[in-house]
Amino acid sequence: MTWYIVRRIGQSVAVVIGVMILTFILVHLEPGSTARAVLGLKATPARVALFNNTYGLNRPLPVQFWLYCDHVLHGNFGISYSAGQPVSTLIAQRLPRDAVLIGMSTLLALIIGIPMGLYQAIHHGTVRDDIVAGTWFTLYSAPDFMEALLLIAIFSVHFHLFQPAFPGGITSVGGLFTDPSALVLPVVVLAINSVAGFSQYMRSSAIEELAQDYMRTARAKGLSERMIMWRHLLRNAVLPIITILGLSLPNIVAGAVIAEAIFNFPGMGLLFWQSALSHDFPVMLGATLIIGVATVVGNLAADIAYGVLDPRIRHAV
Amino acid sequence: MPTKRKLAAVAAGIALTTLVAACAAGNGGKVGGGSVVKGQKIKGGTVTIAEVAGSPNDIMPLGPSTNSNGFNIYLDLGLWPSLTYSGDGAKSVPNPQENLYSKLTYSDNDKVITIDLKPWKWSDGVPITSRDFTFVYNLLKWNYNDWFDYVQGLFPVDVAKVLTPNAHTVVLDLTRSYNPTFYTDNVLATIPLLPQHAWDKTSASGKVSNYDETKAGAKAVWNFLQAQGSDMGTFATNPLWQVVDGPWKLAAFQSSGYYAWVPNKNYSGPDKPVLNKVIWTPFTTDTSEMDTLRSGTSLDVASVPLNDVRQIPALKAEGYSVAQVPTPGVAEILPNFYAPVAGLLLRQLYIRQAMEYLINRKQIVQKAFAGYADPGNGPVPVLYGKQFDSPLEKAGGPYQYDPAKAKALLAAHGWKVVPGGTDTCVKPGTAADECGAGITSGEPLTFQLLFASGTESYDEQNAAFQSTESLGGVKITLKSEPFNTLVSTTGTCNGQSHPAATCDDWQLEQYGYNTYLMDPTGAGQFNTDANGNYGGYSTPEMNKLIDATEYGSSSSAFFAYEDYAARQLPLLWLPNASIVFVYKSNLAGVTPLNPFSGLVNPEVWYYTKPTS
Repeated sequence: MTWYIVRRIGQSVAVVIGVMILTFILVHLEPGSTARAVLGLKATPARVALFNNTYGLNRPLPVQFWLYCDHVLHGNFGISYSAGQPVSTLIAQRLPRDAVLIGMSTLLALIIGIPMGLYQAIHHGTVRDDIVAGTWFTLYSAPDFMEALLLIAIFSVHFHLFQPAFPGGITSVGGLFTDPSALVLPVVVLAINSVAGFSQYMRSSAIEELAQDYMRTARAKGLSERMIMWRHLLRNAVLPIITILGLSLPNIVAGAVIAEAIFNFPGMGLLFWQSALSHDFPVMLGATLIIGVATVVGNLAADIAYGVLDPRIRHAV
Repeated sequence: MPTKRKLAAVAAGIALTTLVAACAAGNGGKVGGGSVVKGQKIKGGTVTIAEVAGSPNDIMPLGPSTNSNGFNIYLDLGLWPSLTYSGDGAKSVPNPQENLYSKLTYSDNDKVITIDLKPWKWSDGVPITSRDFTFVYNLLKWNYNDWFDYVQGLFPVDVAKVLTPNAHTVVLDLTRSYNPTFYTDNVLATIPLLPQHAWDKTSASGKVSNYDETKAGAKAVWNFLQAQGSDMGTFATNPLWQVVDGPWKLAAFQSSGYYAWVPNKNYSGPDKPVLNKVIWTPFTTDTSEMDTLRSGTSLDVASVPLNDVRQIPALKAEGYSVAQVPTPGVAEILPNFYAPVAGLLLRQLYIRQAMEYLINRKQIVQKAFAGYADPGNGPVPVLYGKQFDSPLEKAGGPYQYDPAKAKALLAAHGWKVVPGGTDTCVKPGTAADECGAGITSGEPLTFQLLFASGTESYDEQNAAFQSTESLGGVKITLKSEPFNTLVSTTGTCNGQSHPAATCDDWQLEQYGYNTYLMDPTGAGQFNTDANGNYGGYSTPEMNKLIDATEYGSSSSAFFAYEDYAARQLPLLWLPNASIVFVYKSNLAGVTPLNPFSGLVNPEVWYYTKPTS
């Protein structure tokens, strides 16, 4: 197991380096001049030259990459061209907020999705299974911006029940809770899109487990259905969900650009989107690197957790 | 010249929501230019203003050249107003009550300006003096290349000498004569006074001295102030920024862009704030701003995005009043006179004229902008009033929509006109009835219009342009790009550098509009070496006429320039969308909107309660 973990970590480091190289090349392939994009149409050639010199954009690309790597290894992700702040500050402000928002929505999706999957598994092949699956797949298929706007129209504009947007100026995680009613709609919208996935994974896994010998044994022992469901079926069927959760770590880091835009939530998704539009290389590189790291860490964590929880896998490696 | 100022950075469609205001009046009286205030005036209260798709990130009023954030001006102007206060109500004239000077005298053939400062005080009680002006001058003299608002050849390099005969008088001896209107409206309106007694230092713990009087000292002070000015975490707590001469002081600032003003209790100006607090609250997108407005909860003042003007009736139902003001700027389709092949076509005035005849501007105003737009008859919007709007522009401009004239023009110059298809040149050559220099036989009259994506109104406008141009056989293909990509591919060319530079990746471009200050001069846009002349237009006559508006003193010079530009079409004129603004109906003093003042003067706003 130890060798397995070491090997996986080594692979992860290689992947992160690859992501850095690829991202650096891709962002520099963006058409047009960065300085012009940042300084605007009226920027004089002298001002453009000053900008390029200030940010080292007049140096050869390999030199820029080398300096970037050097800075990153020293914890310096650079200064955002458009915000004028350290990239690490921008990310540090947004990341915890996204973690809370997306964490809450994931939790809500799990709370709904797992029992729903179990319910479908127990009733699989029936009309009830089809109705539940159809409902969640319909919601899953609907664009999240449409769901968000519909919910806002109903609950904020018409009934004035929930805030349609986060209050401006949230800079901390605590700030998210200054007006809890603002959290309701974004959490629900983000959860809606995850429930279908969780419930279907749960359903498939549970159907598989229901056919196992130990389930028949449990019934033969005279255990109640409730006991069988919660003690035996749930614990075994939930394993695939752990993998899914691990793989959803990058989502927490990458944010949710649509929901962030609609609900006035300045998170990682919007940061990345706006930096791409404004040629803000340091932010793009910083955000991509963080997302890349989260992806490999999520995969690694899922693999390790799976190995720890399932002895068959642990012994196989 | 006008479009290089910080306001210009806002121009490209970033909608902050704080235009406004007028001079306050008493209960039930007239406000500013004339809106009637109903209800009893309430002292105090908080106004929350939406700040969309951007926020300030630098507080130093003389911002660095590498920071083009147009939102900084909104943060600064209420704290450190400029010498000339732009706009009196909605009029494009300086506001004598709010100017920092009591008198401005031009002498020696308009080469010497005597500025008599008002006996006002800084917020810490120290009098404002001519030393504060020399402090600004000295800082800029040694650092103008790192000052965002610096325009080549203008302040401070156009100053030969600064004299301060007494504590309240400044004499500027300029290197050449200027048109007083131009200098007052467009140069002095960008220069604030700064508190020498508090800011002339090189470190936070250092003592104030006369560092600015030497080059090394001025550079050290500049660097110190710029470093402090970009430290967003300390904007509201740094003692430097608490010394102000405007009506407001900064009470809170968060790096998210949220900030709050409270009244400067020692403000010397005429309009003492009535409100207790003004809050700017950031919105990531205009969608979230509109949703918040529609829910009728936390916003008191906000702009309405062009895409959402049809929701105005719903906003009225939520208790908002609506106001609009034409944007002080010029919207256009920019021709690239040096694009391969297309540039040869666009250099022909008759082709530009035909294309302008084929733009149905009235229809665009109604259909694309729901009636909220200036008609775009020429280089100056109609809002500028009698001193800047020539009779030609007021009458609708030289090229009103007329497809028949367009077709006749093209046919008369050797084109086979195919309405709905593509015209082709059938008479190449340079004679009066031939296509023109460099245009070959069979050349199709076709262009690609590159435009900024993301604004539905612009999409509709450009589709209308494409459609009506086809009536004259001018084939337009449309291509949209994100605004910043569009900007970055335009290049850094002008009429002087264009032939030698690589700015040929586009033919026609539409990115929004160029902003003006109070004097809507063409300097900076249409003169050969202008920084904003990236289409490469160049004629000696235009240069001469622009120079006359900037350096001459003839009152007729402006109309001569304006009409020449309107006819010459260095740009294809388009309607310019207005700024549409909603505010809580019990908030008074908001109208008439002042589009010139930096758009931020809630010092004249106040709440009312209904009178029984």
